[in-house]
Amino acid sequence: MGWRLSKFNVVSMVFGFSFLYLPIVLLVVYSFNASRLVTVWSGFSTVWYRELWNNRGLLDAAWVTLRVGVLSASVATILGTMAAIALARYKRFTGRTLMTGMVYAPLVMPEVITGLSLLLFFVAIDFDRGFWTVTLAHISFTMCFVTVVVQSRLVSFDRSLEDAAMDLGATPTVTFFQITLPLIWPAVAAGWMLAFTLSLDDLVIASFTTGPGATTLPMKIYSQVRLGVTPEINAVCTILIAIVSVGVIITTLINKRRLVRQARNERLAADG
Amino acid sequence: MKSLGSIRRNFAPWIDPAASPFLRFEGVTKRFGDFEAVDDLSLSIFESEFFALLGASGCGKSTLLRMLAGFDMPTSGRIILDGEDMSGIPPYRRPVNMMFQSYALFPHMSVAKNIAFGLKQEKMGKGEIADRVEQVLKLVKLEDYAKRKPDQLSGGQRQRVALARSLAKRPKVLLLDEPLGALDKKLREETQFELADLQYELHTTFIMVTHDQEEAMTLADRIAVMDKGRILQVAPPAEIYEAPNSRFVADFVGNVNVFDGTVRAATGDRVTIETTGGFDIVAERDVPVEAGQNVSYVLRPEKLKIAAEPISGPNVMEGEVWDIAYFGPVTSFHIRLDTGAIVKVAMVNATRQSPLQLTWHDRAFVTFDEDAGLVLTQ
Repeated sequence: MGWRLSKFNVVSMVFGFSFLYLPIVLLVVYSFNASRLVTVWSGFSTVWYRELWNNRGLLDAAWVTLRVGVLSASVATILGTMAAIALARYKRFTGRTLMTGMVYAPLVMPEVITGLSLLLFFVAIDFDRGFWTVTLAHISFTMCFVTVVVQSRLVSFDRSLEDAAMDLGATPTVTFFQITLPLIWPAVAAGWMLAFTLSLDDLVIASFTTGPGATTLPMKIYSQVRLGVTPEINAVCTILIAIVSVGVIITTLINKRRLVRQARNERLAADG
Repeated sequence: MKSLGSIRRNFAPWIDPAASPFLRFEGVTKRFGDFEAVDDLSLSIFESEFFALLGASGCGKSTLLRMLAGFDMPTSGRIILDGEDMSGIPPYRRPVNMMFQSYALFPHMSVAKNIAFGLKQEKMGKGEIADRVEQVLKLVKLEDYAKRKPDQLSGGQRQRVALARSLAKRPKVLLLDEPLGALDKKLREETQFELADLQYELHTTFIMVTHDQEEAMTLADRIAVMDKGRILQVAPPAEIYEAPNSRFVADFVGNVNVFDGTVRAATGDRVTIETTGGFDIVAERDVPVEAGQNVSYVLRPEKLKIAAEPISGPNVMEGEVWDIAYFGPVTSFHIRLDTGAIVKVAMVNATRQSPLQLTWHDRAFVTFDEDAGLVLTQ
């Protein structure tokens, strides 16, 4: 494929990537700054990462965020998968259209409204706000994303596999856990990752629904930034970026390996 | 004594009045909304029989198979297998197994695990499962492929794995949904004979659904021809071909010439039919017909003889050679009669060189024996 990049392509790519990544690069670079002043470079240092380790407030917030993320993503994945199966499998039941609409509504609902309504709800039922309210709120707004991901996989799922399992004597429960679930697993895992990322990322809904002792990392960062950006914040953000990047790289590698294996299998099948 | 076709069959429980059927459909109807997929259908199938349901798509044959497997429940009527009423029994408790058209092999399991899946559901011991897996793999000649995944197999190998998997539980009835439909022509012909041999060895009752008449004819002991949710005829292949009971069956299975007409005279063992084409047909009177009755005379193309010179005697038609197709074993002629009707003639190329020399637009003469065709009243 001997096509070469034209000048126009090069220029638009440079602009595009700069627009997307220059701020992030700056943030990463300044996290290794020796100076306390964010905008003045005075040499390379990892001091802010060591400082970070001693900052109990930030570490506590990170721990809360992680717990909320794992718990809410897991529950949202279970509920979202169940909703996806109901919507993909049962083409006609009373209230199907209503359910479809209600499952997908949070996708387009402004976060402020979701957060506010959840706050009013928790106040109304006199539920102590804190870790659990944030988790519940995150479950309710990430569930629909899981449903979207899993449902799109189920549409292309070959139902005769389930028929075959039942024909061979497997009850519907065994069929689900041994045939359906292993085959839609990549979509379920992707749904979990998406839910986890959204939870990790959320500031607005968490701010509305949180209470004493349950400050998430985005909330902590936001409140600290209001007092001025410190290199410590840059360090936290760099770590977050590193975690996300590693996740993306691992997923890409797994996908690539699968493609290679698939190609090898096809060759093997052709050879007999 | 004359008999239909040239095969003498020793296995024919359906003509034995003492034999009791292994599987019975009793007045089975299946409706999907307003659509009647299967319409008040009754059918008996015997043990060790290889039975084929033949019909175009949408005729209800697959619905019938799915009802037997338990994936669909009849709207009314009963299915009785080996004396047991199948009503309300879910698919996972029925003593039948199905080989799916798409094969439906579990892509995340190896060949051996696919086959073992059904046996594990029975809580069979580990050693016994391993033995059984080995045994059925040997049956389909795939011993060396146990560890492979389905996507590491060719189409023909997948078909064998699907077959092995459905046989592993030793079902009372094996259901085959278009078993050879996904294979290419050459492989299909080979596999047909293997499947027939396998069934003969195992003595398992096989029920096959197919739209391919050749597949049904090669494999089945008996064929049921279906249309619009009903069975039109149930008979061995030779009888379906040589003695169809209706124009639909005659037309659906193989090629046929149909002459519509009125009975002019029916005397002794002869019947004379005045066709709408203006010529008379003298035929054997093997069904009771009266003078004046409207009948059809159906005639397979290979039962006709073609000549370039005029022929004397009854049952001679004259026309123009309209089309010729050389297939190798047979040559097919389309003769256009002076009335405009087309008569199909198939000439078997029994010798390498033919004395007959015909080309397009030649005059040709066609004749047939009195017992070559069949008088149909419906």
